[in-house]
Amino acid sequence: MIHTGAAVVIPVMIAYADCAPFALVPRRAWTRRVAKSMEPTANPAEMTALLASVGKARDKAAFELLFVHFAPRVKSYLLRLGANAALAEDLAQEAMLIVWRKAGLFDPAKASASTWIFTIARNLRIDAMRREKRPEFDPDDPTLVPDEEPQADAQLSRDDESARLRLALTKLSPDQAQVVEMSFFADKPHRQIASELNLPLGTVKSRLRLAMARIRTALGGEA
Amino acid sequence: MSIAHHPSDELLLSYAAGATDEAASLVIATHLALCPICREVTARAEAAGGALLEAAEPVAMDAGAFKSVLSRLEDAPAAKPQARAPSNVPEPLRSYIGGDLDNLHWKKVTEGIAFLPLVKHGKTRAHLVRTEPGAAVGLHTHRGEELSIVLTGGYTDATGHYRRGDFQATAAGDEHSTVTDRGEPCVVLAMSEAPLRFHGLMDALIARWFGF
Repeated sequence: MIHTGAAVVIPVMIAYADCAPFALVPRRAWTRRVAKSMEPTANPAEMTALLASVGKARDKAAFELLFVHFAPRVKSYLLRLGANAALAEDLAQEAMLIVWRKAGLFDPAKASASTWIFTIARNLRIDAMRREKRPEFDPDDPTLVPDEEPQADAQLSRDDESARLRLALTKLSPDQAQVVEMSFFADKPHRQIASELNLPLGTVKSRLRLAMARIRTALGGEA
Repeated sequence: MSIAHHPSDELLLSYAAGATDEAASLVIATHLALCPICREVTARAEAAGGALLEAAEPVAMDAGAFKSVLSRLEDAPAAKPQARAPSNVPEPLRSYIGGDLDNLHWKKVTEGIAFLPLVKHGKTRAHLVRTEPGAAVGLHTHRGEELSIVLTGGYTDATGHYRRGDFQATAAGDEHSTVTDRGEPCVVLAMSEAPLRFHGLMDALIARWFGF
Protein backbone atom coordinates (compact mmCIF):
# COMPACT_ATOMS: atom_id res chain seq x y z
CA MET A 1 0.00 0.00 0.00
CA ILE A 2 1.43 3.32 -1.00
CA HIS A 3 -1.22 5.49 0.56
CA THR A 4 -3.73 5.34 3.37
CA GLY A 5 -6.99 3.45 3.23
CA ALA A 6 -8.99 6.57 2.50
CA ALA A 7 -8.45 6.52 -1.21
CA VAL A 8 -9.56 2.91 -1.42
CA VAL A 9 -12.71 3.32 0.60
CA ILE A 10 -14.00 6.45 -1.07
CA PRO A 11 -14.95 5.03 -4.44
CA VAL A 12 -17.03 2.36 -2.68
CA MET A 13 -18.65 4.92 -0.46
CA ILE A 14 -19.38 7.33 -3.29
CA ALA A 15 -21.18 4.62 -5.14
CA TYR A 16 -23.49 4.03 -2.20
CA ALA A 17 -23.84 7.37 -0.52
CA ASP A 18 -26.24 10.09 -1.41
CA CYS A 19 -25.87 12.37 1.54
CA ALA A 20 -22.44 11.77 3.00
CA PRO A 21 -19.72 12.27 0.45
CA PHE A 22 -16.21 11.30 1.52
CA ALA A 23 -17.04 10.01 5.00
CA LEU A 24 -15.03 6.91 5.70
CA VAL A 25 -17.83 4.51 6.33
CA PRO A 26 -17.40 0.74 6.33
CA ARG A 27 -20.09 -0.95 4.28
CA ARG A 28 -21.68 -2.65 7.28
CA ALA A 29 -22.26 0.72 8.93
CA TRP A 30 -24.07 1.94 5.88
CA THR A 31 -27.61 1.09 6.98
CA ARG A 32 -27.17 2.99 10.21
CA ARG A 33 -25.71 5.92 8.34
CA VAL A 34 -28.47 6.12 5.79
CA ALA A 35 -31.02 6.21 8.59
CA LYS A 36 -29.08 9.00 10.20
CA SER A 37 -28.76 10.96 6.99
CA MET A 38 -32.55 11.00 6.71
CA GLU A 39 -32.74 13.17 9.80
CA PRO A 40 -33.32 16.80 8.96
CA THR A 41 -29.97 18.49 8.45
CA ALA A 42 -29.24 22.05 9.36
CA ASN A 43 -31.01 24.61 7.26
CA PRO A 44 -28.28 26.63 5.51
CA ALA A 45 -30.40 29.80 5.52
CA GLU A 46 -30.93 29.42 9.25
CA MET A 47 -27.19 28.95 9.88
CA THR A 48 -26.48 32.06 7.81
CA ALA A 49 -29.07 34.02 9.81
CA LEU A 50 -27.52 32.82 13.10
CA LEU A 51 -24.06 33.84 11.98
CA ALA A 52 -25.31 37.25 10.86
CA SER A 53 -26.99 37.66 14.24
CA VAL A 54 -23.75 36.86 16.05
CA GLY A 55 -22.03 39.46 13.89
CA LYS A 56 -24.60 42.20 14.37
CA ALA A 57 -25.94 41.63 17.88
CA ARG A 58 -23.20 39.52 19.56
CA ASP A 59 -26.02 37.02 20.12
CA LYS A 60 -24.75 34.26 22.44
CA ALA A 61 -27.82 32.07 21.97
CA ALA A 62 -27.28 32.10 18.21
CA PHE A 63 -23.60 31.37 18.80
CA GLU A 64 -24.48 28.31 20.88
CA LEU A 65 -26.59 26.90 18.05
CA LEU A 66 -23.72 27.46 15.61
CA PHE A 67 -21.34 25.83 18.06
CA VAL A 68 -23.52 22.75 18.49
CA HIS A 69 -23.72 22.29 14.74
CA PHE A 70 -20.25 23.26 13.55
CA ALA A 71 -17.76 22.51 16.35
CA PRO A 72 -18.16 18.69 16.03
CA ARG A 73 -17.77 18.99 12.24
CA VAL A 74 -14.67 21.16 12.50
CA LYS A 75 -13.26 18.63 14.98
CA SER A 76 -14.00 15.85 12.50
CA TYR A 77 -12.26 17.80 9.70
CA LEU A 78 -9.16 18.31 11.86
CA LEU A 79 -9.02 14.65 12.87
CA ARG A 80 -9.16 13.68 9.21
CA LEU A 81 -6.17 15.93 8.56
CA GLY A 82 -4.10 14.16 11.18
CA ALA A 83 -4.67 16.13 14.38
CA ASN A 84 -4.78 13.97 17.51
CA ALA A 85 -7.94 14.11 19.64
CA ALA A 86 -6.64 16.74 22.06
CA LEU A 87 -5.37 19.03 19.30
CA ALA A 88 -8.57 18.63 17.27
CA GLU A 89 -10.62 19.56 20.34
CA ASP A 90 -8.46 22.61 21.10
CA LEU A 91 -8.44 23.83 17.51
CA ALA A 92 -12.18 23.28 17.08
CA GLN A 93 -12.76 25.45 20.16
CA GLU A 94 -10.30 27.99 18.83
CA ALA A 95 -12.05 28.00 15.44
CA MET A 96 -15.37 28.76 17.12
CA LEU A 97 -13.76 31.63 19.04
CA ILE A 98 -12.56 33.02 15.71
CA VAL A 99 -16.11 32.63 14.37
CA TRP A 100 -17.30 34.75 17.30
CA ARG A 101 -14.62 37.39 16.76
CA LYS A 102 -14.97 37.61 13.01
CA ALA A 103 -18.72 37.15 12.63
CA GLY A 104 -19.09 40.88 11.93
CA LEU A 105 -16.93 40.44 8.81
CA PHE A 106 -19.10 37.60 7.45
CA ASP A 107 -20.74 38.62 4.17
CA PRO A 108 -23.70 36.37 3.33
CA ALA A 109 -23.55 37.57 -0.29
CA LYS A 110 -20.11 35.97 -0.62
CA ALA A 111 -20.47 32.64 1.15
CA SER A 112 -22.76 30.38 3.12
CA ALA A 113 -22.09 29.93 6.85
CA SER A 114 -20.59 26.46 6.31
CA THR A 115 -18.26 27.74 3.57
CA TRP A 116 -17.14 30.66 5.71
CA ILE A 117 -16.51 28.41 8.73
CA PHE A 118 -14.67 25.93 6.51
CA THR A 119 -12.23 28.70 5.51
CA ILE A 120 -11.64 29.58 9.17
CA ALA A 121 -10.96 25.95 10.08
CA ARG A 122 -8.69 25.54 7.04
CA ASN A 123 -6.62 28.63 7.86
CA LEU A 124 -6.36 27.69 11.51
CA ARG A 125 -5.06 24.21 10.75
CA ILE A 126 -2.50 25.56 8.24
CA ASP A 127 -1.30 27.95 10.93
CA ALA A 128 -1.30 25.43 13.78
CA MET A 129 -0.48 22.13 12.08
CA ARG A 130 1.74 23.21 9.18
CA ARG A 131 3.18 26.28 10.94
CA GLU A 132 2.86 28.37 7.81
CA LYS A 133 1.00 31.55 7.08
CA ARG A 134 -2.03 31.39 4.84
CA PRO A 135 -1.75 34.32 2.42
CA GLU A 136 -5.17 35.66 1.41
CA PHE A 137 -6.45 38.73 -0.38
CA ASP A 138 -8.26 41.31 1.73
CA PRO A 139 -11.73 42.17 0.36
CA ASP A 140 -11.44 45.64 1.95
CA ASP A 141 -8.08 46.44 0.37
CA PRO A 142 -8.50 49.57 -1.81
CA THR A 143 -5.91 48.10 -4.22
CA LEU A 144 -8.10 45.04 -4.84
CA VAL A 145 -9.70 45.07 -8.30
CA PRO A 146 -13.42 45.00 -7.44
CA ASP A 147 -15.99 42.48 -8.69
CA GLU A 148 -17.56 43.49 -11.95
CA GLU A 149 -21.23 43.25 -11.09
CA PRO A 150 -22.85 42.74 -7.70
CA GLN A 151 -25.24 39.80 -7.66
CA ALA A 152 -28.67 40.88 -6.48
CA ASP A 153 -29.83 37.38 -5.57
CA ALA A 154 -26.47 36.23 -4.25
CA GLN A 155 -27.73 35.47 -0.77
CA LEU A 156 -30.48 33.22 -2.03
CA SER A 157 -28.12 31.32 -4.28
CA ARG A 158 -25.36 30.99 -1.64
CA ASP A 159 -27.76 29.48 0.85
CA ASP A 160 -29.24 27.24 -1.76
CA GLU A 161 -25.94 26.08 -3.19
CA SER A 162 -24.98 23.85 -0.28
CA ALA A 163 -27.51 21.12 -1.06
CA ARG A 164 -26.79 21.26 -4.80
CA LEU A 165 -23.08 21.01 -4.13
CA ARG A 166 -23.42 18.03 -1.84
CA LEU A 167 -25.41 16.27 -4.49
CA ALA A 168 -22.85 17.15 -7.16
CA LEU A 169 -20.00 15.87 -4.96
CA THR A 170 -21.71 12.50 -4.58
CA LYS A 171 -21.87 12.30 -8.37
CA LEU A 172 -18.16 12.75 -8.98
CA SER A 173 -16.54 9.69 -10.49
CA PRO A 174 -14.53 7.65 -7.96
CA ASP A 175 -11.33 8.92 -9.60
CA GLN A 176 -12.40 12.54 -9.27
CA ALA A 177 -13.70 12.06 -5.72
CA GLN A 178 -10.39 10.57 -4.69
CA VAL A 179 -8.28 13.53 -5.83
CA VAL A 180 -10.74 16.07 -4.39
CA GLU A 181 -10.62 14.15 -1.12
CA MET A 182 -6.83 14.16 -1.10
CA SER A 183 -6.81 17.92 -1.72
CA PHE A 184 -9.25 18.83 1.03
CA PHE A 185 -8.59 16.15 3.66
CA ALA A 186 -5.02 15.06 3.11
CA ASP A 187 -3.36 18.43 2.44
CA LYS A 188 -1.80 17.15 -0.77
CA PRO A 189 -0.72 19.38 -3.67
CA HIS A 190 -1.00 17.97 -7.20
CA ARG A 191 2.44 16.47 -7.47
CA GLN A 192 2.20 14.64 -4.17
CA ILE A 193 -1.17 13.19 -5.17
CA ALA A 194 0.36 12.06 -8.46
CA SER A 195 3.30 10.40 -6.76
CA GLU A 196 1.16 8.66 -4.11
CA LEU A 197 -1.32 7.34 -6.66
CA ASN A 198 1.45 6.58 -9.11
CA LEU A 199 -0.31 8.63 -11.80
CA PRO A 200 1.03 11.15 -14.30
CA LEU A 201 0.73 14.72 -13.00
CA GLY A 202 -1.46 15.61 -15.99
CA THR A 203 -3.97 12.92 -15.03
CA VAL A 204 -4.32 14.29 -11.51
CA LYS A 205 -4.78 17.81 -12.87
CA SER A 206 -7.38 16.75 -15.42
CA ARG A 207 -9.37 14.85 -12.76
CA LEU A 208 -9.40 17.91 -10.53
CA ARG A 209 -10.35 20.08 -13.49
CA LEU A 210 -13.31 17.81 -14.29
CA ALA A 211 -14.36 17.91 -10.63
CA MET A 212 -14.26 21.72 -10.75
CA ALA A 213 -16.42 21.65 -13.88
CA ARG A 214 -19.01 19.59 -11.99
CA ILE A 215 -18.90 22.01 -9.08
CA ARG A 216 -19.32 24.93 -11.45
CA THR A 217 -22.31 23.33 -13.15
CA ALA A 218 -23.91 22.54 -9.80
CA LEU A 219 -23.60 26.20 -8.80
CA GLY A 220 -25.22 27.34 -12.01
CA GLY A 221 -22.10 28.94 -13.48
CA GLU A 222 -21.31 28.71 -17.15
CA ALA A 223 -19.16 25.70 -17.92
CA MET B 1 -6.78 46.62 -18.46
CA SER B 2 -7.97 43.09 -18.30
CA ILE B 3 -6.07 40.01 -17.25
CA ALA B 4 -5.36 37.54 -20.04
CA HIS B 5 -3.53 34.74 -18.21
CA HIS B 6 -5.09 32.96 -15.23
CA PRO B 7 -4.24 30.09 -12.86
CA SER B 8 -5.91 26.78 -13.77
CA ASP B 9 -9.14 25.73 -12.09
CA GLU B 10 -7.35 22.78 -10.50
CA LEU B 11 -4.70 25.04 -8.97
CA LEU B 12 -7.42 27.27 -7.51
CA LEU B 13 -9.12 24.17 -6.10
CA SER B 14 -5.89 23.15 -4.33
CA TYR B 15 -5.51 26.68 -2.99
CA ALA B 16 -9.12 26.66 -1.75
CA ALA B 17 -8.57 23.27 -0.12
CA GLY B 18 -5.52 24.62 1.72
CA ALA B 19 -3.20 22.17 -0.06
CA THR B 20 -0.83 24.69 -1.65
CA ASP B 21 2.16 25.81 0.41
CA GLU B 22 2.80 29.35 1.60
CA ALA B 23 4.94 30.46 -1.35
CA ALA B 24 2.47 29.18 -3.96
CA SER B 25 -0.47 30.56 -1.96
CA LEU B 26 1.16 34.00 -1.87
CA VAL B 27 1.40 34.11 -5.66
CA ILE B 28 -2.15 32.80 -6.15
CA ALA B 29 -3.68 35.12 -3.53
CA THR B 30 -1.94 38.15 -5.03
CA HIS B 31 -3.41 37.23 -8.41
CA LEU B 32 -6.85 36.87 -6.76
CA ALA B 33 -6.61 40.43 -5.42
CA LEU B 34 -6.32 41.62 -9.02
CA CYS B 35 -8.71 39.13 -10.67
CA PRO B 36 -12.44 39.00 -9.84
CA ILE B 37 -12.91 36.07 -12.26
CA CYS B 38 -10.53 33.81 -10.35
CA ARG B 39 -11.99 34.98 -7.02
CA GLU B 40 -15.32 33.61 -8.19
CA VAL B 41 -13.76 30.26 -9.21
CA THR B 42 -12.03 30.08 -5.81
CA ALA B 43 -15.31 30.89 -4.05
CA ARG B 44 -16.90 27.89 -5.79
CA ALA B 45 -14.11 25.57 -4.67
CA GLU B 46 -14.43 26.92 -1.13
CA ALA B 47 -18.17 26.27 -1.29
CA ALA B 48 -17.27 22.64 -2.05
CA GLY B 49 -15.16 22.75 1.12
CA GLY B 50 -18.19 24.07 2.99
CA ALA B 51 -20.32 21.23 1.63
CA LEU B 52 -17.68 18.70 2.70
CA LEU B 53 -17.55 20.23 6.17
CA GLU B 54 -21.34 20.06 6.34
CA ALA B 55 -21.20 16.38 5.34
CA ALA B 56 -18.42 15.48 7.79
CA GLU B 57 -19.41 12.91 10.41
CA PRO B 58 -19.69 15.02 13.61
CA VAL B 59 -17.25 14.04 16.38
CA ALA B 60 -18.51 14.91 19.87
CA MET B 61 -16.76 17.80 21.57
CA ASP B 62 -15.53 17.34 25.16
CA ALA B 63 -18.11 17.85 27.90
CA GLY B 64 -17.94 21.50 28.88
CA ALA B 65 -16.40 22.61 25.59
CA PHE B 66 -19.08 25.21 24.95
CA LYS B 67 -18.87 26.58 28.50
CA SER B 68 -15.15 26.86 28.13
CA VAL B 69 -15.48 28.81 24.88
CA LEU B 70 -18.27 30.94 26.34
CA SER B 71 -16.00 31.94 29.22
CA ARG B 72 -13.41 33.18 26.71
CA LEU B 73 -15.77 35.24 24.52
CA GLU B 74 -15.37 38.43 26.52
CA ASP B 75 -11.63 38.36 25.88
CA ALA B 76 -12.23 37.94 22.15
CA PRO B 77 -12.97 41.39 20.78
CA ALA B 78 -14.86 41.70 17.52
CA ALA B 79 -12.53 41.82 14.51
CA LYS B 80 -12.89 44.91 12.36
CA PRO B 81 -11.88 45.45 8.75
CA GLN B 82 -8.37 46.87 8.63
CA ALA B 83 -8.12 50.35 7.18
CA ARG B 84 -5.57 50.25 4.38
CA ALA B 85 -4.12 53.04 2.29
CA PRO B 86 -4.19 52.71 -1.50
CA SER B 87 -0.96 51.24 -2.84
CA ASN B 88 0.55 49.78 -5.99
CA VAL B 89 0.83 46.42 -4.20
CA PRO B 90 -2.28 44.51 -3.13
CA GLU B 91 -2.58 42.31 -0.05
CA PRO B 92 -1.36 39.76 0.83
CA LEU B 93 1.90 40.72 -0.88
CA ARG B 94 2.07 44.17 0.70
CA SER B 95 2.34 42.71 4.21
CA TYR B 96 5.20 40.49 3.04
CA ILE B 97 7.24 43.35 1.61
CA GLY B 98 6.18 45.85 4.26
CA GLY B 99 4.90 48.52 1.87
CA ASP B 100 5.10 49.50 -1.77
CA LEU B 101 7.53 48.42 -4.45
CA ASP B 102 9.55 51.60 -3.97
CA ASN B 103 12.54 51.54 -1.64
CA LEU B 104 13.04 47.79 -1.56
CA HIS B 105 16.47 46.33 -0.91
CA TRP B 106 16.99 44.61 -4.23
CA LYS B 107 19.89 42.24 -4.70
CA LYS B 108 21.44 42.83 -8.07
CA VAL B 109 22.08 39.56 -9.86
CA THR B 110 23.47 40.80 -13.11
CA GLU B 111 23.00 43.79 -15.40
CA GLY B 112 19.26 44.31 -15.74
CA ILE B 113 18.09 41.69 -13.20
CA ALA B 114 17.51 42.17 -9.47
CA PHE B 115 16.01 39.86 -6.92
CA LEU B 116 14.39 40.00 -3.47
CA PRO B 117 13.67 36.84 -1.44
CA LEU B 118 10.38 36.80 0.52
CA VAL B 119 9.44 33.32 1.70
CA LYS B 120 11.47 30.17 2.14
CA HIS B 121 9.82 26.98 3.27
CA GLY B 122 11.48 23.67 2.65
CA LYS B 123 12.29 23.49 -1.02
CA THR B 124 9.94 26.17 -2.27
CA ARG B 125 10.48 29.86 -2.07
CA ALA B 126 8.82 33.07 -3.17
CA HIS B 127 10.70 36.10 -4.37
CA LEU B 128 10.37 39.28 -6.38
CA VAL B 129 12.30 39.57 -9.62
CA ARG B 130 12.83 42.93 -11.32
CA THR B 131 14.05 43.23 -14.88
CA GLU B 132 14.90 46.51 -16.56
CA PRO B 133 12.95 47.81 -19.58
CA GLY B 134 13.97 45.97 -22.73
CA ALA B 135 16.06 43.41 -20.82
CA ALA B 136 16.30 39.99 -22.40
CA VAL B 137 16.46 37.06 -19.99
CA GLY B 138 18.23 34.31 -21.91
CA LEU B 139 17.00 30.80 -22.47
CA HIS B 140 16.57 29.00 -19.17
CA THR B 141 15.09 25.74 -18.00
CA HIS B 142 12.77 25.43 -15.00
CA ARG B 143 13.99 22.56 -12.86
CA GLY B 144 10.84 22.58 -10.77
CA GLU B 145 7.36 24.05 -10.94
CA GLU B 146 7.20 27.83 -10.98
CA LEU B 147 4.21 30.14 -10.54
CA SER B 148 4.48 33.84 -11.21
CA ILE B 149 2.41 37.00 -11.47
CA VAL B 150 3.31 40.37 -12.96
CA LEU B 151 3.06 43.39 -10.62
CA THR B 152 4.34 46.18 -12.86
CA GLY B 153 5.49 46.45 -16.45
CA GLY B 154 5.33 43.38 -18.64
CA TYR B 155 7.26 40.75 -20.56
CA THR B 156 6.85 38.52 -23.57
CA ASP B 157 7.83 34.91 -24.11
CA ALA B 158 6.85 32.30 -26.70
CA THR B 159 3.49 31.76 -24.94
CA GLY B 160 2.35 35.38 -24.98
CA HIS B 161 2.48 38.82 -23.46
CA TYR B 162 2.20 39.18 -19.68
CA ARG B 163 1.16 42.38 -17.91
CA ARG B 164 -0.02 43.40 -14.42
CA GLY B 165 -2.07 40.63 -12.84
CA ASP B 166 -1.19 38.02 -15.48
CA PHE B 167 -0.30 34.62 -14.10
CA GLN B 168 2.10 32.07 -15.56
CA ALA B 169 2.72 28.49 -14.45
CA THR B 170 5.78 26.70 -15.78
CA ALA B 171 6.43 23.03 -15.21
CA ALA B 172 9.70 21.29 -14.47
CA GLY B 173 11.60 20.93 -17.72
CA ASP B 174 9.96 23.91 -19.45
CA GLU B 175 12.38 26.15 -21.29
CA HIS B 176 11.82 29.75 -22.14
CA SER B 177 13.40 33.13 -22.64
CA THR B 178 11.70 36.43 -21.94
CA VAL B 179 11.97 40.02 -23.11
CA THR B 180 10.87 42.80 -20.79
CA ASP B 181 8.57 45.49 -22.20
CA ARG B 182 10.05 48.89 -22.88
CA GLY B 183 8.91 51.83 -20.76
CA GLU B 184 9.18 50.66 -17.15
CA PRO B 185 10.87 47.89 -15.19
CA CYS B 186 8.94 44.63 -14.88
CA VAL B 187 8.44 43.30 -11.35
CA VAL B 188 7.27 39.72 -11.02
CA LEU B 189 6.30 37.79 -7.88
CA ALA B 190 7.39 34.18 -8.35
CA MET B 191 7.30 30.91 -6.47
CA SER B 192 9.83 28.32 -7.50
CA GLU B 193 10.67 24.86 -6.35
CA ALA B 194 14.21 24.72 -7.69
CA PRO B 195 16.77 27.06 -9.20
CA LEU B 196 16.52 27.93 -12.86
CA ARG B 197 19.19 26.49 -15.13
CA PHE B 198 20.53 29.00 -17.60
CA HIS B 199 22.04 27.82 -20.82
CA GLY B 200 25.21 29.81 -20.68
CA LEU B 201 27.36 31.87 -18.43
CA MET B 202 24.90 32.68 -15.75
CA ASP B 203 24.67 29.36 -13.92
CA ALA B 204 26.97 30.31 -11.09
CA LEU B 205 25.35 33.70 -10.66
CA ILE B 206 21.91 32.21 -10.61
CA ALA B 207 22.93 29.56 -8.12
CA ARG B 208 24.16 32.32 -5.83
CA TRP B 209 21.04 34.34 -6.53
CA PHE B 210 18.82 31.55 -5.27
CA GLY B 211 21.04 30.73 -2.34
CA PHE B 212 21.66 27.15 -3.33
